[in-house]
Amino acid sequence: MNNLHRYRCVLMALGLAFCTCNVAHGLVFKPHPHPEIDPSLAISAITLLAGSLAVLRIRRNK
Amino acid sequence: MNQPKSTSTEVESFRPTLCIRLPAHLLGRLYLLFAIVAFELLFCFQGRGVFPGHLKFFEANTDVYSQIPIFAYAVFLGFGHFRLKSLQEKLSFSRILFAGHLLCLAVVCFFTVAARERPGWVLFDTFGYVKSAFFMLATALLALACVPYRSWMAAIRATGRLWFYAILAGVAGWWLGSPIKLLWGATMTDQSGIMQRATLRSVGAVLGHFLPDLVVDPATFTIGTFRYSVVIAGGCSGVEGLGLILIFTSLWLWVFRKEIRFPQAFLLIPCALGCSWLLNILRLCALILIASTGGSEAFQTGFHAQAGWIAFTFIALAFSLATQKISWMRKTPAPASGNTGNLPGGVTGNIPGSSAHLAEQSGESPATRAYLLPFLAILAAAAISKLVSGYFDWLYPLRFIAAAIALSYFWPELKKINWRFGWLGPVAGVAVFLLWIAPSWWAHPPAASRLGADLAALSPMARWTWIAFRVAAAVVTVPIAEELAFRGYLARRLISREFDQVSFTRLTAFSIVLSSVLFGIVHIKNLVDWQHLALGTLAGLVFAAALRWRGRMGDAVIAHAVSNLLLAAWVLGCNDWAQW
Repeated sequence: MNNLHRYRCVLMALGLAFCTCNVAHGLVFKPHPHPEIDPSLAISAITLLAGSLAVLRIRRNK
Repeated sequence: MNQPKSTSTEVESFRPTLCIRLPAHLLGRLYLLFAIVAFELLFCFQGRGVFPGHLKFFEANTDVYSQIPIFAYAVFLGFGHFRLKSLQEKLSFSRILFAGHLLCLAVVCFFTVAARERPGWVLFDTFGYVKSAFFMLATALLALACVPYRSWMAAIRATGRLWFYAILAGVAGWWLGSPIKLLWGATMTDQSGIMQRATLRSVGAVLGHFLPDLVVDPATFTIGTFRYSVVIAGGCSGVEGLGLILIFTSLWLWVFRKEIRFPQAFLLIPCALGCSWLLNILRLCALILIASTGGSEAFQTGFHAQAGWIAFTFIALAFSLATQKISWMRKTPAPASGNTGNLPGGVTGNIPGSSAHLAEQSGESPATRAYLLPFLAILAAAAISKLVSGYFDWLYPLRFIAAAIALSYFWPELKKINWRFGWLGPVAGVAVFLLWIAPSWWAHPPAASRLGADLAALSPMARWTWIAFRVAAAVVTVPIAEELAFRGYLARRLISREFDQVSFTRLTAFSIVLSSVLFGIVHIKNLVDWQHLALGTLAGLVFAAALRWRGRMGDAVIAHAVSNLLLAAWVLGCNDWAQW
């Protein structure tokens, strides 16, 4: 029995709820007075993270 | 004897397929609809500050009423997941309705741009109601294009009263939104700013050990010394980092759910949130300490902006590593590095169905490192240089050095790539350069940039050293690293997980366009920088076309290098520093 079946609803609801909160409130993308929200920094950081995650997921035994 | 034969058969029967395709069943289509509408709301029609013409419903701006349907839809999808997934009928996608959707969006775009650029053109729609009506029509058409009417009815019947509870939840979410915002809101009432207050006290407790003249004013959320003080605004309370971490961790657990053990893995979420909170406290402490002990204003700006993103990247990477490496979090213990054990019969591999086996199946090709790491080295070096720089990126040479080291490290693997090039590469490079600078010809006055003034303030030696590294990076390391990442990896990864087996001549229109758009996004400088988004996308398309022409990476790299070289000459010759 996949244990996740018990919790996937919770997980899904958590992820969606906070994604939608972000969408609904425009938390990240609204014009923001703080420099953390500079989109070029955000894009660089997210690209770096995504690329690093891809590298970390490399198969070891080819 | 059989093993080589089967391998040969696999290679012969290998057919690159499009990894990203429209979901065929109801649940996938509902998620697709959600993603498209969210994207359109976020990037096109958010209205707050970006465009003066808001979408309006019932005398209020979109962002008020859009919360209810968005939240309700999310609850409907989240809690109706299993029942919706059981509806396995294959759905058609109506291209005609989708074309109608795009047409309505074009009308909305026209009103939005016209309201901003030529206010006199939209006299009959001063309050945005016509535009809003078109947007609602566009959304309805999209909903019917993704999911036919009878399937909507089937979904509602299958989920019982869930639609009603979802609407109630949506209203509750909208109603609770404002009170929850008070947790980090900057109002001065007793109930507001709990997170700000906690951050203020935590920072004060830490800094009290280092700064004897520390001043804390809880009334205005101000903390610092006589030399330097900061106001802990809502954003500084760490709420944005917590939100990002929560989104990342939830998505990560969902995507790799088959490899991870539950509920143990849920423990990582509060750990990651706690780390995010602590690192934000440390960021503020470091900022105040550095500034109070003589750090320049420019340094504070760079540190303030970059430290949060570095912390987010660090926590996200640590979280993903924890789910992969901690045996207690995995369904089966993580295999030792490079050792996957032996199966009966002398066959090497993981037990089918085990999490290690699933990880192998979903793992990335080993060639990913050589293609991605040079570009990641540039991004990491840029993050560090921006962390310690202010407005002027004086550590730019670090990017060149980092990329050069990465490229030389992977060169034994990279030299197998076809680096030869023909006449098309340089021609494509000239074309991209002309496209890139075309807007400068009719821009009056030219875009302002302080780079020229910052460089002029340096000594001649420092100035020319910086420029030499900037040009060398633009002409050598950046073209190679970006072409490897965007065309060599991404464009082919969109076709097959085994991207290194896909010939460059077999790139599809979809993979070229999507990788080019992402290439364009990487080049934007602010949220409404449509110019660089379009130019970057066009440049990506040209480089991809040069690559696909004869299937040689050299053509794309030389095109990229020539365009960057000409741009460098343009910047230095015309003092048009905004192009850098």
